[in-house]
Amino acid sequence: MSLEGKLALVTGGGRGIGRAIALKLASQGADIIVDFFRRRDTAEQTAKDIEALGVKAEVVRANVGDPAKIDEMFDMIGNKFGHLDILISNAASGVGRPIMDIDVKAWEWTMDINARACLLCAQRAAKLMEGRGGKIVSISSLGSHFVLPNYTVVGVSKAALEALTRYLAIELAPQGISVNAIAASAVETEALKFYLKEGLVKDNRQATPAGRMVVPEDVADVVAFLCCEEAFMIRGQTIIVDGGTSVGLFALAGKENNEHS
Amino acid sequence: MTIEEQIRDIVAKITHVDKSIITRESTFKEIKADSLDVVQALVAVEETFGIEIPDEEAQQFKNFGDFVSYVENHVAQTEKV
Repeated sequence: MSLEGKLALVTGGGRGIGRAIALKLASQGADIIVDFFRRRDTAEQTAKDIEALGVKAEVVRANVGDPAKIDEMFDMIGNKFGHLDILISNAASGVGRPIMDIDVKAWEWTMDINARACLLCAQRAAKLMEGRGGKIVSISSLGSHFVLPNYTVVGVSKAALEALTRYLAIELAPQGISVNAIAASAVETEALKFYLKEGLVKDNRQATPAGRMVVPEDVADVVAFLCCEEAFMIRGQTIIVDGGTSVGLFALAGKENNEHS
Repeated sequence: MTIEEQIRDIVAKITHVDKSIITRESTFKEIKADSLDVVQALVAVEETFGIEIPDEEAQQFKNFGDFVSYVENHVAQTEKV
């Protein structure tokens, strides 16, 4: 699998899952544009690490929750490179609150960054992929299917992202663009440390049949595969990367029941 | 309008509090700013003054005064350049 000569944009590419994706695609030969919003230091470090792999890296700051910033980012890409081969919609944010505390501001903030940005980025990316095709992969989470405490807004935004992935996959297929998503369970990142601290998720190591938590590189490996020609026939899918957690829940519940009987 | 007044207006608009209660000693909690309000205030201030406030710096702000001082110093630096 090679991505030599390809140009990829990774939103939220400076840290966590985005950084791992950026480095993985770079290791396959792609030049990478690293978008960041709040942490320039980690984005610049990621760019240095990408360049150390022998490919080019570009850092761009854009809050993808703001349509004008998305436009500015893609204007820059259009002017500087004139094309794009791969879009990874990874940037995400969220407000963790019980349903009764969710206000319009929390809803819009989360939906704008996690769902609307995927549409707006895909629209602009598709234009830069004209005549050459491309790959779009968005990062979802198991919270789109399963109920996690205080995760309502994020879970709903990810469900929107997954539905959007299906629609994009069909409408952009004639242009040679493959669109898919990945839903991971809790991934060991800085964001997870925050969620653990806030009590939004529990350490699920023991609930993972694969025996360890998902790490960013697990997600990055699947992204890289979806970006290769070998994944040509996978369209509009959300691939679950969770070490078996979601299909193992029932078995685990059964095990606990047995212990109590 | 001073930098402090402009930032006070931005913060009051986001947190829906009367700006008269926002002093340099006010903590974000006292002005009813949750973490989302703080990020939105940072973004609005960045855009108003054309500067970038890194999260690692913003996390050090203990009160409104720290926020204002950072912006005052940063805008001054930018103008000197």
